[in-house]
Amino acid sequence: MVTRLYGAVCIDGVRKTEVRDLFLEGEMIRSELATRTRIDSEYKLDNHIVVSGGIDLHTHIGGGKVNIARLLLPDLVNHRNPNSDRMAAEQPWLKPLSSPVPGTWETGRRYLEIGYTACFEPALLPANARHSHAEMADTPWLDTGGYLLLGNDRLLLEWIRDGVPQEQINAYVGWMVHAHQCCAVKVVNAGGIDAFKFNQRHLSVDDSHVHLGITPRQILNALSQAVDSLQLAHPLHVHCSNLGLAGNIAATMATIDAVEGRRLHLTHAQFHCYGKDGPHGYSSAARELADRVNADPNLSIDVGQVQFGQTVTLSGDTMHQFANRKLARPRKAIFQDLECQAGCGVLPFRYRQDQYVHGLLWSIGLELFLRIEDPQHVFLTTDHPNGAPFTSYPHLIRLLMDYDYRMSIFSRLHPDVQKSSPLPSLTREYSLEEIIKMTRLGPAKALGLNNRGSLCDGKLADIVVYESCENPEQMFSQPKMVFRRGQLVYRDGVFLADSIKSTIVSSVEIEPQMDAMLKKIWRTRYGYSTEMISVRTGELQSERRIVEEN
Amino acid sequence: MICPFCSLLCDADDLNQVCCRRRESSLVEVTKMRSWHGSSILDSESVSNAINALRSATRILVTGRISSVQTARAAVAFAAKYNATIDCAEGGHAFKNILAIQRSGLNSVSLAEARDHSDVLIVVGDDQLLAKVPRIPSALANEKSVKHTVLLLGDFSEASMSIWREAGFDVWFVPCEMNAVPTALAQWSRWSDSNRDSLSAAGPLFEKLAQARYTTVLWSAENLQIENADLWVERMLQWIATRNENTRCAALAWSSLDGTFQQVCTWLTGFPGRIAFLARTPEYDPCRFSYQEWLAKKPTTDKRKSVLVVIDETASATPFFKVSDLPTDTQVIEVTANSKTFPTAIAGVEIAADIFRADQTLLARVEPSIEPRSYAKSAPHWLEALSRW
Repeated sequence: MVTRLYGAVCIDGVRKTEVRDLFLEGEMIRSELATRTRIDSEYKLDNHIVVSGGIDLHTHIGGGKVNIARLLLPDLVNHRNPNSDRMAAEQPWLKPLSSPVPGTWETGRRYLEIGYTACFEPALLPANARHSHAEMADTPWLDTGGYLLLGNDRLLLEWIRDGVPQEQINAYVGWMVHAHQCCAVKVVNAGGIDAFKFNQRHLSVDDSHVHLGITPRQILNALSQAVDSLQLAHPLHVHCSNLGLAGNIAATMATIDAVEGRRLHLTHAQFHCYGKDGPHGYSSAARELADRVNADPNLSIDVGQVQFGQTVTLSGDTMHQFANRKLARPRKAIFQDLECQAGCGVLPFRYRQDQYVHGLLWSIGLELFLRIEDPQHVFLTTDHPNGAPFTSYPHLIRLLMDYDYRMSIFSRLHPDVQKSSPLPSLTREYSLEEIIKMTRLGPAKALGLNNRGSLCDGKLADIVVYESCENPEQMFSQPKMVFRRGQLVYRDGVFLADSIKSTIVSSVEIEPQMDAMLKKIWRTRYGYSTEMISVRTGELQSERRIVEEN
Repeated sequence: MICPFCSLLCDADDLNQVCCRRRESSLVEVTKMRSWHGSSILDSESVSNAINALRSATRILVTGRISSVQTARAAVAFAAKYNATIDCAEGGHAFKNILAIQRSGLNSVSLAEARDHSDVLIVVGDDQLLAKVPRIPSALANEKSVKHTVLLLGDFSEASMSIWREAGFDVWFVPCEMNAVPTALAQWSRWSDSNRDSLSAAGPLFEKLAQARYTTVLWSAENLQIENADLWVERMLQWIATRNENTRCAALAWSSLDGTFQQVCTWLTGFPGRIAFLARTPEYDPCRFSYQEWLAKKPTTDKRKSVLVVIDETASATPFFKVSDLPTDTQVIEVTANSKTFPTAIAGVEIAADIFRADQTLLARVEPSIEPRSYAKSAPHWLEALSRW
């Protein structure tokens, strides 16, 4: 099957933005075809732009905490939104999700509808890995992958306390990534989730775990060494200590220092760059973090932008989720201590634009985007659903591309935010190329997805066609067409075909000695064999599912 | 090897040598089922008859004992296709916990965390817990040298207490009515909070409870034979939540094998499994869409248009409803191990199945231990065949 797209402006952040022909041959992009190749279909796309499929490197789309949030909040589901008729008349491109945590069928459909084709679950609990993969397998159209949650697994923490050789930790991390079919390693509040199980309510980077006596700094250092030693494509993916606390920028800086210059990705960084100044003892420290990112080529962030409205926060960080329990709206929450490995906290939350802190979070996220110079070091996320549902991405893109629009929202915020935020002075407007780099090329590079992220010859033909429009929110909300692996799967609001899905995993050699050691340990500590939790590659494969290595 | 006969999913090394009562009786059931020889060919007439009944039906209920991810997926897709109501046979038990959680939230702990970390275990219920999950005491007993405390509240026999003791626990038993447990615990909390200095005078049990570093409270929804059990669970959850203000405490709310169905239905549709599809859109109502409610409702028009689709991929031979309970002239389509038209392979025994352990944390791949019967197909196979029109 060969498809020709012509007349459209091709944008990928690699080659010059210009009108050119693009060929989709089988699953691949070709800039040229061999002579006499028969073209099966052609699309004339004047006044359109063509980009590669969006890649969301941090979105909670599968696993225990997502599902328990669905179970907790049937009252937030609204398939027949009372505002939808009015909204449909005014802004026909804005379709709300039926819930902040919709089912997998809806998640896959809505991601495709905004032009995303690959999404990564960033907190995959080892014991819950098969569940997470099963759920992502049921999310149609999207290629998926998971980041393994380590750094609160008691076995690792005990080994760090006991001073085992770094090589043993490297082998353990490799075994865990392999056994759970993941593509990266994530750490959430290093040591803090486990400390909370011992009733410790606060743990900063250099504080000691009340039971084990180790510090988050030691954990971060050991894990970053392991990730580099194993040559995982994605750097250690870190949810810092002190989530949401005023003054937590100090812990964030200490986290960066803890890895001693190794590669590091800070996730939902917006929630981790607060100062203690300002009228309510809560201020922006975005400049400090942005300066650090601009100066350090080994450091990247995703933002976790907040948008106003109802959502649900779900995180492995039970310590801080529990601390926020009284802020839950509606007033109910779930906290789980899980399998000597981690935990989870689920807390429904409503961000209000007239509330000082909420308005500040909104402006800090935008500050980070606008202060970080290279869009390949800052990625567009809302930490779905924590900051907002992923369907708000087109709105966020407009905020970044249109200063006046940004200020029109800013003018509605709490007066103290308007007085204290430096946002009005940041007049930068993102270009289309920068948006595409931030949502395609950058995440592909950060995850080692060498066959994705641009329109270059030989890349996977995950292609999105948008009709050019002055309003980027409208444009990014309704692609004209989406191709998955060269096949047209969506056109003008109609889903035409299913697509082959892939699970992206890291190829890691496991050490036989570690395998034997963990088999014994697992039986003693967990009471079952490693067979119970090891996910075999064959389980991720079927007629319509494949496994790819990054 | 993982045992699929109860929601603990044992994978003890000695599983074949030391069977528990539950496993022994289930193996007998499996043997009986396999002694029956059915049709070996897909009977296209049966399939087309069933499809015709489904297409002309005005009310369809999909129910049964669904224990695997694979079948749960197929059942939900099938229900969506036919705009049916779906609720599993043991939904009544699952919703005792689910309704309470949806109102008040939850502090919970998984099995291995409780095993490794919990120093006091409060078990609420009766002997039925061990009848349903015989190996739970050994699963919760860690190999540390310090004996942990288990407090049994409810109606337990000496035999039950012995099993907990043999597993290595320091066992205490306080006989009481189930209904009284949440109130008693709340009273004890208030008393101990205001008498911190004289706890030792109240006896060693009170002292242990008050000094617990991490308390786990275990109950099984299946064994809560009390009225308004969801309110009972809610009061327990509130007590646990209050405890967490100062110390750590969590529920281990045990579910049954149908927990797998609840999980899958929730991730596919956004709702736990008591839903009805309308134009393929799920609507959730845990009261209105229970299978008992469906069975109790008398069709107002042509009675022949009610179809009940029963799926059972477990080894249990005991039917979960009486034919006499069905509305007259309701047509039943059975996708079960013993079905004559759609004989179904037993999940985790004859075919591989992904099944959740009862704490809903761990999803295990249970490989088959015996060859499937030649004429039996997987439940998803039948459900897909019945969806093709």
